[in-house]
Amino acid sequence: MKNRRDFLKLGALAALGASIPGCRKADKPQLEAFTGPLDPLRAYPYRGWEDLYRKQWTWDKVVRSTHSANCTGSCSWNVYVRNGVMIREEQAADYPRISADLPDYNPRGCQKGACFTEYVYGPQRLRSPLIRAGERGEGKWRKATWDEALTMVAGKLLDNIYQYGPDTNTFFSVIPAMSPVSFAAGSRFAQYTGGVFCSFYDWYCDLPPGEPLTWGVQTESCECADWFNSKYIVLWGSNISQTRIPDAHFAWEARYNGAKIVGISPDFNSSMVHTDLFLSIQPGTDAALALGVAKYIVDNNLYDTPYVKEQTDLPLLVDKRTNLFVRAEGSTDRFFFHDAKTGKRHEAPGSMGSKEKTIALNGADPDLHYSDGEVTTVFELMKQKLAPYTLEAVAQTTGLALSDIKQFAHEFATRKPAMIIHGAGLNHWFHNDLINRSLILLVALTGNTGKNGGGFNHYVGQERVWPERGFKAYAFPEGAKKQRMQNMTLWTYLHSSNKDPHLYNGKPIEHYIEESIKNGWMPLYPKKRDQKPRALIVWRANYLNQAKGNEYILKSLWKDLDLIVDLNYRMDTTALFSDVVLPAASYYEKSDISTTDCHSYVHPFNKVLDPLYDSKPDWEIFRDLAKKVAQLAAERKLAPYHDQQFDWRRDFTKTYDLWSGNGKFQQPEDGANFILDGSPETKGMTFEQLKQHPQRFKKIDEEAWNSEIEEGRAYTPFQHQVDEKRPWRTLTGRQQFYLDHPWFLDFGEQLPVYKEPLADSAKYPFFWNTPHGRWSIHSTWRDARYQLRLQRGIPICYIHPEDAKARNIADNDWVKVFNDNGSFVSKVQILPGEKRKRLTMYHGWERYLGFLQGGWQSTSMIKIKPTQLVGGYGHVNFKLNYWGPTGNNRDVRVDIVKYTPTAADLQTIRRTGKGKA
Amino acid sequence: MPQHQISMVLDLNKCLGCQTCTMACKKLWTDGDGMDYMYWNNVETRPGQGYPRNWDKIGGGFEDGKLRPSELPSKEDYGQTFEYNYAERLFQGGMQAMPQEEVRNTPNWDEDVGALMLGENYYFYLPRLCNHCTNPACLEACPRKAIYKRAEDGIVLVDQERCEGYRYCMKACPYKKIYFNELLGKAQKCIFCYPRIEKGEVNACAKQCPGRLRFVGFLDDPDSAVHKLVHVYKVALGLFPEKGTEPNVFYVPPFNPPRTGSYGKSVLEDPRMPMDYLKYLFGDEVVDVIRRLEGELQRAQSGGASEVLQLLIGRDEHVRYQIPKHEQLIQIGGGHKA
Repeated sequence: MKNRRDFLKLGALAALGASIPGCRKADKPQLEAFTGPLDPLRAYPYRGWEDLYRKQWTWDKVVRSTHSANCTGSCSWNVYVRNGVMIREEQAADYPRISADLPDYNPRGCQKGACFTEYVYGPQRLRSPLIRAGERGEGKWRKATWDEALTMVAGKLLDNIYQYGPDTNTFFSVIPAMSPVSFAAGSRFAQYTGGVFCSFYDWYCDLPPGEPLTWGVQTESCECADWFNSKYIVLWGSNISQTRIPDAHFAWEARYNGAKIVGISPDFNSSMVHTDLFLSIQPGTDAALALGVAKYIVDNNLYDTPYVKEQTDLPLLVDKRTNLFVRAEGSTDRFFFHDAKTGKRHEAPGSMGSKEKTIALNGADPDLHYSDGEVTTVFELMKQKLAPYTLEAVAQTTGLALSDIKQFAHEFATRKPAMIIHGAGLNHWFHNDLINRSLILLVALTGNTGKNGGGFNHYVGQERVWPERGFKAYAFPEGAKKQRMQNMTLWTYLHSSNKDPHLYNGKPIEHYIEESIKNGWMPLYPKKRDQKPRALIVWRANYLNQAKGNEYILKSLWKDLDLIVDLNYRMDTTALFSDVVLPAASYYEKSDISTTDCHSYVHPFNKVLDPLYDSKPDWEIFRDLAKKVAQLAAERKLAPYHDQQFDWRRDFTKTYDLWSGNGKFQQPEDGANFILDGSPETKGMTFEQLKQHPQRFKKIDEEAWNSEIEEGRAYTPFQHQVDEKRPWRTLTGRQQFYLDHPWFLDFGEQLPVYKEPLADSAKYPFFWNTPHGRWSIHSTWRDARYQLRLQRGIPICYIHPEDAKARNIADNDWVKVFNDNGSFVSKVQILPGEKRKRLTMYHGWERYLGFLQGGWQSTSMIKIKPTQLVGGYGHVNFKLNYWGPTGNNRDVRVDIVKYTPTAADLQTIRRTGKGKA
Repeated sequence: MPQHQISMVLDLNKCLGCQTCTMACKKLWTDGDGMDYMYWNNVETRPGQGYPRNWDKIGGGFEDGKLRPSELPSKEDYGQTFEYNYAERLFQGGMQAMPQEEVRNTPNWDEDVGALMLGENYYFYLPRLCNHCTNPACLEACPRKAIYKRAEDGIVLVDQERCEGYRYCMKACPYKKIYFNELLGKAQKCIFCYPRIEKGEVNACAKQCPGRLRFVGFLDDPDSAVHKLVHVYKVALGLFPEKGTEPNVFYVPPFNPPRTGSYGKSVLEDPRMPMDYLKYLFGDEVVDVIRRLEGELQRAQSGGASEVLQLLIGRDEHVRYQIPKHEQLIQIGGGHKA
């Protein structure tokens, strides 16, 4: 058999009973009758053949590497080579133990990582530079040399700079933590060419806005080993068995160690099966449940009073008439509480304007319940806000059983330590910030934040670059102030035909956007409003496939861009729809490092083999691009460009010199070592040393993080605040639940409240739900054959049996899912565990596989929440990925009908005739 | 009887359904020609059709000491093995990428489906491999006596040289864990990773399992976790014991959370998952196991200590695997096909 097609035919023939030489049929065998004393149950003399399988488990060399798909796993793998071919991989499983009591982190890795080698050699692998020869997305290419491709790109970038301005060149690469050296190679290039660098953590809707709002941090979670220390774990909108595959075991082990596990999710998903209590909540009503529990805690005096007084803004005084904090005269950032000891007003220590850099109360006793004619406390205002959330009302809203939520409320309040593991199931809603804040309120009221086994822990997106100091210095060497940074949600919304019809307090979102830009709260590029973005360079990301408002983007932004460039190791949808595709080395063919929120180790990517085919590591591609820009600038005798925004005279003949740090960075390992050496977490480690085994961080950078790393102890955040009484990084210096920014007050969101999912598509009865699942990391592995064979081969959406019956839909039917934004056609599966009136499709399916029309983002539209555009408020200011509008998507509503494939569809399905793409 | 019996215990309360074990085995052993459709280790959602489809309903095993062979599952029962036209779509400007045939059945067809009882969904994941039975029906059925049980560890193997592909073994196995390689004309199955075991390394499916739910050791080693779980704590049971093959792979039976509004009730009182279903899989003994495990869990969750649950936590490899290195390596070259 020379190839698989022949073999498949053979299989079919055998099934038909055809006679094939060398194969036997069982029907009429020629028995070689065996007489003799052979008793194979007891002994067997012919075991020489066993070498067959022994030989299969051999290799010539094994090299450690990892994967960077933004899974938050950050797992160290061994890749095995035999006869110059990577044959398989296996988890290295050698993360050093934290302590004897905690289960260790091994083996770390999942079924997807276990066959990445499929991509290395697979048909999707990009093997040479390609330049588009047909329409965008058609898939027609001509091969180009590196020189031709890089010349084209560099030339166009320079043209744009001098003709239209450097802010018409846009750069998009995500999640540095998964491969910071590859990320930084491009961000350095962007900085030295004046390009716009876009955010991603907020655009992907993985940033939990409640964290910057309440805590002044982007995201800080405990490492996953700390789950084992908990006695009450609430999986809230987080399907850990599918999305935290390497870490889920800590929860199930914690259960055996005495924790109770609660699962809150509309559907009975893969994680809910192992819980002690499953709450099948009505989609989007989670804030109501949280506030009901908060009311229960307050009403029954189950809150941790000393903690609340010291660590939260709940004792602070608010003016009853204005609803603003009581502030010191002439200040914006000094606040007060009423001291029960002295009966007088006392300035709260530790706020941004306070002289005291501590939140220690030093004997003062804030009165949580103070109220007079003029002022009252945040606590009292919160109590009033909580009044409607009786457990009876909450049971109504959420559809949960009253007895269940009563026990849940009581247990959450009394079992310690308690933690919430918070996922995209909550964070992808329009009102994600309110949901986050409501849940954070719970762990604050009960004193669980800052304690091992407690807290509000969020792992959606591998956002934590532990060696942050060194990384920032490498990625943006001239500093953030000399870099054009852009919130991607806003950029995509304004530069595409996405148009939100909803009115917010009677005004369209454009009103708030323009206010925000005018106030300098949110940047927008290109700065000149009559300019459009000209070039988009994407690497380590699948921007187009994943973008909300997909159908709008394809018709507008994607037509308006002059040049789209994609660096990739596989032809994903963005690459397919680009103009120039540059083949990148795969994860097993380059040097880099990896860190994650989920654990406290760093480990490397290594070259198992040199880059295959004509590919190059991202780092080298940007190196060569920088050289090309310099070369062209010299050839064209370009005068330096005066970049007025930064008062920066840019001599582009120096681009490579600057990019390489004047020759300091000759290879990616130099970048890795620079990061390691420049960060307290990793100082003393070298890239070479990382090859031994994952290394635990030694210290932390106090400017970046809020707890120490200690030997023998799992990392949990905010111990600086809770144990050492350092101020929280907020305006009030405390966990801040009251936000008296005028827009928050206008929308009644100064305190966390429950707001219903958006209802502006009431004519469509189904919630459209696109969670992360086990079979892909976003779009990576979505087209991987071995993964697909263990599913149903092509994209499917899920529907509850009753809903299917009502629409006359059967399992494995083709269906069309649609709303005013767009539609797609895929297959459907009937799922008894799905929630009524909701359709689910696990996210990330590539447009080019299996859909008869559209893709998984066809029915979405970009929705920006007004309050997520604010700035100029203490700790609430735009910073790349820290704060900005998020790309929510769970409020989308659709309808579904059975779809009958057309004749052309059937040609596509059966791969006969012409079919259609 | 073999001198020793290697064994595995799988705790179904930790299985994520992630299929990493399936992929581990596939990449290591069944990546070759003729093996595309084989998953020596597979994970199926239960209740469900299983892999191959309906394997638990068609027969096999022993009855009153006699072999009761089933029909062979059809090729379709094992599920399709998709191939895609990526080159066409992505590089030649051709039609949409699709599998080579219409989708009808796959090895994990009804993933996460389970069943409904009084309107509430229940299911769990069941990883399966060859049970390396003490009384293997496959061994008994083979007219060539080409299937044998290793004396030193009880691993059951199909002699790849002497097998002539009659497939009586496939009909005999009640678990349908032997497969036919049409290319080679041989029966093939899980080899319990003997090349790894011989070197003191545990099976790939166990080693690579991120759920850390597998315990591997010798059943007759009183210090091993498997021995304790099966014979001392008695919380692990084999599948379909009535089939008479005495499987050496055991399962800690699964729990599902209580039904809506039933939080606080015993799982024996008002279960989400009917006890009859567990009895179908594991025999009547399962009820007592569930009762005792529930008691252990309650004790742990009330602040007490539970020995068996502390063992099931399986904090690291030393707790989960006890594989001594083989004293003697197998004689090579000494005996071949007769």
